[in-house]
Amino acid sequence: MKSIPKLIRRFVLILLLSIFLFLVLNIGFLVFYTVGHSSNGGPWTTAQEAAEAMTATEEGYTLPEKMQTELESKNIWAVYIDNGTLKALWHSDNLPDTVPLQYTASEITSLTRGYINDCPTFTGTGEEGLMILGYPQKSFWKHMYPSWDYQMIESAPRTVLLVLGGNILLVMLIYLGANSGLLRSVRPIVDGIRRLPEGEPVRLKEKGILSELAFHLNKASEVLQSQKYQLMKKDAARANWIAGVSHDIRTPLSMVMGYAGQIENLTYLREEDRKKASAIVRQSRRMKGLINDLNLASKMEYNMQPLVREDINAVALARQVAVDFINMDVEGRYPIEWETEDALTVCRIYADKELMKRAISNLIQNSMNHNEDGCTIYVSVAAGGYCVISVEDDGTGASDEQIEKLNHAPHYMVCDTNTTEQRHGLGLLIVKQIAESHGGCVEIGRGGHGGFGVKIVLPVKD
Amino acid sequence: MISDYIKKKQILLVDDEPELLDMVVSILREDGYENIRTAGTVEEALKEAEKSEPELAILDVMLPDGDGFGLMEKLREKGDYPVLFLTARGEDEDKFRGFGLGADDYIVKPFLPKELLFRVAAILRRSYKEEDPLVKLSGCKIDLERAEVIKEGERIPLTAKEYELLSALYRNAGRIVTIDALCEAAWGDNPYGYENSLMAHIRRIREKIETNPSKPVSLVTVKGLGYKLIIA
Repeated sequence: MKSIPKLIRRFVLILLLSIFLFLVLNIGFLVFYTVGHSSNGGPWTTAQEAAEAMTATEEGYTLPEKMQTELESKNIWAVYIDNGTLKALWHSDNLPDTVPLQYTASEITSLTRGYINDCPTFTGTGEEGLMILGYPQKSFWKHMYPSWDYQMIESAPRTVLLVLGGNILLVMLIYLGANSGLLRSVRPIVDGIRRLPEGEPVRLKEKGILSELAFHLNKASEVLQSQKYQLMKKDAARANWIAGVSHDIRTPLSMVMGYAGQIENLTYLREEDRKKASAIVRQSRRMKGLINDLNLASKMEYNMQPLVREDINAVALARQVAVDFINMDVEGRYPIEWETEDALTVCRIYADKELMKRAISNLIQNSMNHNEDGCTIYVSVAAGGYCVISVEDDGTGASDEQIEKLNHAPHYMVCDTNTTEQRHGLGLLIVKQIAESHGGCVEIGRGGHGGFGVKIVLPVKD
Repeated sequence: MISDYIKKKQILLVDDEPELLDMVVSILREDGYENIRTAGTVEEALKEAEKSEPELAILDVMLPDGDGFGLMEKLREKGDYPVLFLTARGEDEDKFRGFGLGADDYIVKPFLPKELLFRVAAILRRSYKEEDPLVKLSGCKIDLERAEVIKEGERIPLTAKEYELLSALYRNAGRIVTIDALCEAAWGDNPYGYENSLMAHIRRIREKIETNPSKPVSLVTVKGLGYKLIIA
């Protein structure tokens, strides 16, 4: 929404600039126009020049030939009146008959202000008399009573500025009024566009000047929501399918596991037969792990696993998982060493207890699965800026290439390209998913005991 | 380790898979349990419960004519005995629902026979006290009923904390109990910072139960992890 004030500023600036440009252009035009129409010096000047050009000769008064020709070319007639007698001393040849040659003082006043026979008249004062020039009809319009209140003229600049300022203010108000309506319509649209990529549904009122825009935005949101819903439906269907399959496999697998478990303990069987039963039990357990992992991995991938986070002690949690494994490992093929420093009794994290248990269990189970001949598993928790839970073993380990792949290649479950290369179990994928969903990460490497090692790094709770 | 008295308890087993029922029955029978009744539906289970008055019910969650949670509520109306769910549904919300309704334990299929047997024995031992409640250790006997240790004919009383710790260890006899779980048993839900107190109490318990407390054989330390009670 930061763009709205910016938009207002821009609008106002453009408006002010427009007003300024209009003023400059108008004044310029006025000056140009006025000057253009008075370039001849004006009729008053011509009359004055004609009056001053009158010369007295023995045959009477004359106007120089050049000026006479100029006046006649413009259809201007002229009369020169004596100051004392108010009679014509000289007149031009084109003087209409209707123009008198004898004047009274009031006629002189009248013609100075106005017209003779609708011809606008202009006067100029010579040495002996008064020059009257008569211009063709409709060539000039004369203001006959040119007088103003003095104070009005005196305060004219201020008045003009005030009126101008008032005008600008009025224009601004009208403009802002009109624009605020527009901005009111723009605001929900800007808000709607901002919400679109966040996946929120957008439903704007389709009225006002931008109703069409709102309509199309609503339409776009509908399409996006429908796509999101379809995608969720698809994801849910996939996760449910996996959950369904894993559910259906559990009961038959129980039978396999249960009977094999019984058979491996039958003392009257041959050793090698009991071993076969043990192998079935072992593989069934792997299958059980796979089913559980597949279900959880798909749920986490499609965001269907709710995180029930609480304040937990990672040391106690890791210790409990380690102990659960020790308690279950009757044969003692996978001894677990607790390597956490004695001084560290509490490392608080804000996490889903069941999922964290699952992550650590998966790592321990992973070490067991990859070392059929047995190995020692080392579990530790370290606290610094982060909580680091390590599960390492002294078993066969993995090659650099495999470690690189585990750290960086996507798992087939989350890979959308060719999956022939990524055929590793789900255990580590789940550990990664769990760590990431808690804002942490997983580091896969060799560990300090010559085998395989994985570290879960999690943020500690303040 | 498991006393014979629990093997005589009446167990009601409900699952709609006849083959699975057969298998669980055979696992339980092989371990010595004598009184096992089975049912494939809610209706059958209720009838069976009327007849046999079970002391432990092992229920499947999904049954043809209802679910195990509903069945547990109905069974509990007749008698207050422990219930263990045995189900193919591994969802957390199912677990919470089961525990919320008062289930004693929850096993997700598939399971190993020894896992089932351990849980069944643990529930029964928790729910029904032994007629002879003496726990036999290598150098003494513990009378948990009276919170006393009987050593060389002498009765030594246990303090409240010592009793809590020994009970927790006895419930998991032969298995490691973590330091944290012991602290929780003795000091409640927020057991941080009691590790030193725990060590002090363990030392005092050893003085009471061990012949040579500096070389314990009944209450052994598993370094860094916890303690284990070994029953003779």
